[in-house]
Amino acid sequence: MIQPQILIIEDELALRRFLVPTLEGQGYRVEVAGTGAEGLAQAGAHNPDLVLLDLGLPDMDGLEVLRQVRAWSRKPILILSARHQEEAKVAALDLGADDYLTKPFGAAELLARIRVALRHAARPAQESPVLACGALSLDLERREVTVEGVPVRLTPLEYRLLEALARRAGQVATHAQLLNEVWGPAGAGQTHYLRIYMGTLRRKIEPDPTRPRYLLTEPSIGYRLEMETGSGRGE
Amino acid sequence: MTPDPAAGPILVALGSDARSLRLVHAGVRLAGERGRPWLVAHVEVPGGETPEESDQARAWLQEASELGAEIAWVKAPTVVAGLVGLARRRAPSQVVLGLARTGGPWDRLESARMRDRLAHDLDAPILAVPLDAEAARGPRPAGLGERLGTVAALAVILALAGIFGASLAEAVGFPGLVGMYALAAWFIHRRWGLATALAASGVATALCALLFASPSGPYGAGGWMRLASFAASLGGVLLLGGLVERLRQESRSGRVAQAESVLLMLLGRTLSRCSTAEEAAAVLSQRVAGLFRAEAWMLLPGEGDAWRRLPAQGPAPECPPPSQLLAAFPGAGAGEDPLAPLYLGACSYVPLGGPAGPLGLLQLRTAGGEPVPQARWGLLQAFATQGALALERIRWVEAAQRARVENETERTRSALLGAVSHDLRTPLAAIQGAASSLLLTGEAMPEASRHDLLAMIRDESVRLARLLGNLLDLTRLESGVIRVRKEWQPLDEVVGAALGRLERQGPLPVQVHLPAELPPVPLDGGLMEQVLLNLLANARIHAGGGPVGLAAWAGPDTVELAVEDRGPGVPSEFHLRIFDKFFRMPDRQGDGGTGLGLAICDAIVKAHGGRIWVEDREGGGARFRISLPAGGAPPLPPLAPETAP
Repeated sequence: MIQPQILIIEDELALRRFLVPTLEGQGYRVEVAGTGAEGLAQAGAHNPDLVLLDLGLPDMDGLEVLRQVRAWSRKPILILSARHQEEAKVAALDLGADDYLTKPFGAAELLARIRVALRHAARPAQESPVLACGALSLDLERREVTVEGVPVRLTPLEYRLLEALARRAGQVATHAQLLNEVWGPAGAGQTHYLRIYMGTLRRKIEPDPTRPRYLLTEPSIGYRLEMETGSGRGE
Repeated sequence: MTPDPAAGPILVALGSDARSLRLVHAGVRLAGERGRPWLVAHVEVPGGETPEESDQARAWLQEASELGAEIAWVKAPTVVAGLVGLARRRAPSQVVLGLARTGGPWDRLESARMRDRLAHDLDAPILAVPLDAEAARGPRPAGLGERLGTVAALAVILALAGIFGASLAEAVGFPGLVGMYALAAWFIHRRWGLATALAASGVATALCALLFASPSGPYGAGGWMRLASFAASLGGVLLLGGLVERLRQESRSGRVAQAESVLLMLLGRTLSRCSTAEEAAAVLSQRVAGLFRAEAWMLLPGEGDAWRRLPAQGPAPECPPPSQLLAAFPGAGAGEDPLAPLYLGACSYVPLGGPAGPLGLLQLRTAGGEPVPQARWGLLQAFATQGALALERIRWVEAAQRARVENETERTRSALLGAVSHDLRTPLAAIQGAASSLLLTGEAMPEASRHDLLAMIRDESVRLARLLGNLLDLTRLESGVIRVRKEWQPLDEVVGAALGRLERQGPLPVQVHLPAELPPVPLDGGLMEQVLLNLLANARIHAGGGPVGLAAWAGPDTVELAVEDRGPGVPSEFHLRIFDKFFRMPDRQGDGGTGLGLAICDAIVKAHGGRIWVEDREGGGARFRISLPAGGAPPLPPLAPETAP
């Protein structure tokens, strides 16, 4: 079986020196680009299975690179960003990036995110209608949610919200994406709707709603349905 | 029920001349000595004062109000009636009046009579403050009753003069008639003015001709002689009267000048208390409004050839941009008079002259849009000069303030540099040492040691990242780069995010008490998560493995939060300083903390309009409290769409 190929578009040498051996050590094939233009050329030439894209590039805006790659490729793109770039992160996610990592990040967290993204890309949307995560199980075909085998009654809106999160299981979904998928265009900007329904959903699903295990908050960005509970995302 | 007179205010009855200020000062002194409130009143009698006098009285009242007095403007038929009415309502413990020592016998008599009547009608003791100058009395329009009274008085005077003169002539053959009439005319002139005296003289001449004409008729030789001598006497009397009137005028204008200089002194004093150009402009505009019956603005050259107008509120007249208008100064006024204001488009302009050219302009618009009368140009210029002085002083104060802030920033920066260079070097040295040791020894190093060194590199870099992150956070918060984006959200979401993040770093025994009915709070989720993270991380360190509590509850208009532990607590002398940048508890120096975590919490909570503090927990330990404003109603949740999933 051919190992997946990963393209790193990152201008900082120190980070490349950490990323390349870490990924090669896991058996991935790695290509490296130091500028946005080079990154676009490499992406066109190799059509990599996954792109790690730094938002702060010397020659062009990382969001522009993202837009151009997304114009022709559905392959997963992970954003590497600094702290306090929440608005840029949200913009990148809304433009079609799959997830983000905030610098500095550890190897375990990086590899976990890459695994989730590749699994998502490999799985056709219709298959595997049952998602399981710890005691939570979600059957997308039969519209059934159970916690420790006990069925949970959800309102239609709550179910739609959970379903929208499950479609990106393990990856972050922005407020805008969730609002659009659950409420449609009328929901734009109404983040407090989301918060209220997320609260009720947590009370029905989470063993302790104040310490969510499944429905994680990404402050200022969105929510994530955690898939690898207990796997530990090291610092 | 009548109020207790001993507790009543001190009532100061104020006139309109410059010496009235003595009364105000007597009022301040008495009020201070007796610890009483004081009330300054001016009684306006119909037709009793000129508009200038009213303005003057208003200026004194304003001054009194700035000195802490309550002020009253009473309209009454007589001064006594007005004061008595006011005294009945307010029951003063003391009444302060002006005592005119000079002035005519009538004035003295009048003021003595007024005091007697007041003393009779009031319970309160009266203090008469001597005024050195004669009370100002201008020409006053007379009422009908007063006019009839004047006519009657004139008739009596003329008749008496006629009878006395005639009987003198009869009895001793002294031709005193003309002299008596001249004396009467002089008295009338002195008491009622020139016009009345002329009219009375005319009547007197006619009476002379009619009553005392010789049989040869009024135009006989004797008659002509008498008429000529009468006219000569009258001329002399009028000349004398004119001189006296000029003297009176001069003394009157002297009083006006005195009042104006006192006004300027008061303006200067008030302006000297202003600390911003806005305040100075407000004071100047208010005073000008009172004295010149005009709206006034300070125009200061702003950015891009536009005026900065102070006070900025309200509609304002159009005017040309600074480049054009300022070029018209100096000497822009109509004519050659250097005092003349520039009159342009229904507004008058006077330069606010500074040492290096005008700082700006004072713009005036009278109610009717007419120019300022020439008699007041000097006063207007003096007002503008006072304004300019105040502006100049404020500029220097601001420059000094800026220099002080820069100094302060510089000191903070060097403190920061000191702390950072130490805190950065320590982990860097450890990382560098460990990494070079690993490279040097390589495979020869035992597996356990190698793992130790690698773990240390990871831990120290985590510490470095935390320090840098804190520094960045604080700098951004303080410089305002981080904007607080408040959104209504349930608190449990933020709490959950913070707990989740902490638990990934290690076990944390937190007891959470969040009532389910807690209302949503408007807050920035990311920033508030940071606050909870810092507080909980601190609590975890200091609790030494003991339990940490996190509770929230709703206040009247707030949401209250508490994070508490059973650690050693915070000594009360550090309750405030613990939130300072780089502040470390004396016994915890060098434990890897940065002294920034609580400063960040403080900055974030303040940016939310809230408050954070630490208190001693009953039974030992520290209790950090946050109070966040939660006023207003959160938006309602939407109706669920019709379609089922």
